[in-house]
Amino acid sequence: MKTKSFSSIACFILILAGLLASPVSAKDVVIKEPPKSLDKLYPPASKKPEWIGVMHKMSGHYGGVFMNMKQKDWANVEKHGLGLAETYEKASKLVPEWEEYFDLKAAKDFVKAVKSRDPKAIGKASKPIGKTCGKCHDDNLAAVWTKYHWPSVEHMKLEDPVDEKEMEYGDYMWLLSKSFKGVTVNFGDGKKDLAMKAVKSFKKRYMELKSTCSKCHTNPAVKQFFVGEPVAEAFDAMVAELAKDKPNPGTVWKNVGTVGKLGCKKCHLTHRSYAIYQEIWEEHAEK
Amino acid sequence: MDIEFLFRKKNIFFLFIVAGISAIMFSYFILNERSDWIPSQLIELARNPELLKRPPAKTCSECHEAIYSSWKKSRHSLAWISEFYVEDSENHSKEKCLPCHIPQSVDPGEKPEPRIENRDDGVYCVSCHLKDGEMRGPYDLFSPSHPTREVGEFRKSVFCGSCHEKTYKEWQATDWDRSCQSCHMPRKMGRLTQKFPLSYLHRKRQVADHSFPHGEIRPDDILMDFKFIKNKAKLSLTNKNVFHDLPTADNGDPRLYAYISFFNSAGEELSSEKEIIAPQKETALPWNKAVVYNYFLSKGTVKAQVRLSYKPAWSKEKTELVVREFQVKG
Repeated sequence: MKTKSFSSIACFILILAGLLASPVSAKDVVIKEPPKSLDKLYPPASKKPEWIGVMHKMSGHYGGVFMNMKQKDWANVEKHGLGLAETYEKASKLVPEWEEYFDLKAAKDFVKAVKSRDPKAIGKASKPIGKTCGKCHDDNLAAVWTKYHWPSVEHMKLEDPVDEKEMEYGDYMWLLSKSFKGVTVNFGDGKKDLAMKAVKSFKKRYMELKSTCSKCHTNPAVKQFFVGEPVAEAFDAMVAELAKDKPNPGTVWKNVGTVGKLGCKKCHLTHRSYAIYQEIWEEHAEK
Repeated sequence: MDIEFLFRKKNIFFLFIVAGISAIMFSYFILNERSDWIPSQLIELARNPELLKRPPAKTCSECHEAIYSSWKKSRHSLAWISEFYVEDSENHSKEKCLPCHIPQSVDPGEKPEPRIENRDDGVYCVSCHLKDGEMRGPYDLFSPSHPTREVGEFRKSVFCGSCHEKTYKEWQATDWDRSCQSCHMPRKMGRLTQKFPLSYLHRKRQVADHSFPHGEIRPDDILMDFKFIKNKAKLSLTNKNVFHDLPTADNGDPRLYAYISFFNSAGEELSSEKEIIAPQKETALPWNKAVVYNYFLSKGTVKAQVRLSYKPAWSKEKTELVVREFQVKG
């Protein structure tokens, strides 16, 4: 008896430990690459991002039902209810791999409820539809945004302004990081002349990043946001300070911080996560 | 008897010639001057409805061979298939590139929509000339094959500005009153079509060069000035003759490189500097405004040499434009 209860407890502990150590738990977010069939609904295969257009249309109709219900505008409640069911059905056929997310019976029931003009029935019938939206979004929204709304920068080429070699973005970032450390490590170790040499290359390489913004953005303001005047001024101040016989460490570090905060950090916060997911997908595809 | 027969035959032959020449002259007159006299039923018979269904550029070449051939040499014809574009757009995946690399229809001053069909043709005949079932262009003329309409904007910079937005703004900032087309679509007398015999029934006109020559940068386009002031030097570059920034591009990456070397009296290089002048780095030379670069001189500098090279957006090769030397005075 004792042995049996001991083995039960041991099994329980093992299962619990297994669950805790498992790679996927409720709090994990899995960003799985979207199905290939979605490609045809996004540029370049289509003229516009059609899938998100369908999503906006559904969202608009869903909101339209409840907004008009509040206003007791039943004609428009019905219009939006029918519009939602129609778009919902259309969406279910666009990506075959996602067909199971859609509950077409729930959509039909929703139309019936809308026609009944009974707010309680409409509210109740909307829940199963809302759940299907939520489930699909939980599983796929981040992945779709990563793949289709954030152009990959992995193979973007740029020219190193120092030796004029062309390289891919990832390699360039390593080089930039090396130049940055050339400034911070050398200055930190009291090697002023080496830090001065490094800051010149770092500045050239850093300012070259301006040329990459336009590979994805048409608005020139983007360049100013990431590689703008304050960053250029911080570089100039750093060079001027390092040119002095006894540079003030406070001034140098302050300007290093400005470049880091106003340039590196802002760009990494905006772009880095998406780039990491894309890199993982690409590495996975190569395997 | 024989002589009389021959005489009659000669007269008939002569009559045929006269009638033929008259018919050609009449057709020439009608087509060029009074096309409104042609009955609409007859026009409908001559129409080719396929031409209004957004055909590929090759179809247009069946009549407009000369224009097609020069367009084939242009960067517009390579807008979708250029290896540089394919690489930069991550295999066409960047949405923002599509409107101008595969425009559906160019409306003056408006950003175009991208298209689905004939993408390999890039910026092609239909993008600029076909709209609302008519072939639009700079001339009011009659074409049997398709309806035509004269649109004045074809001669104006605003037309190009639909895609070349930045360059258009740069040009607007100059006081140059000639349009983009005057430099990049130079015109000469010729025929719009090369399909016999129809091409000869239209009179010759000024035909624009559809290869869109961009022009080479000549050494005298950039005014170079160099000054030595104590232990410093100032290089000044001014774009004198190109009526937009030099180089210019909305999203492409053409570059001018200025290599500056400083030498001592033994001819040994003491130090060197480099300036990359490029629109995407926001360092391009604006028209008629000096851009100044400052340098510290090493001790013993007696001479500076400046070399300017150019690399277009669609090449990895540089061309040397000019080399100049400047001596320290005194």
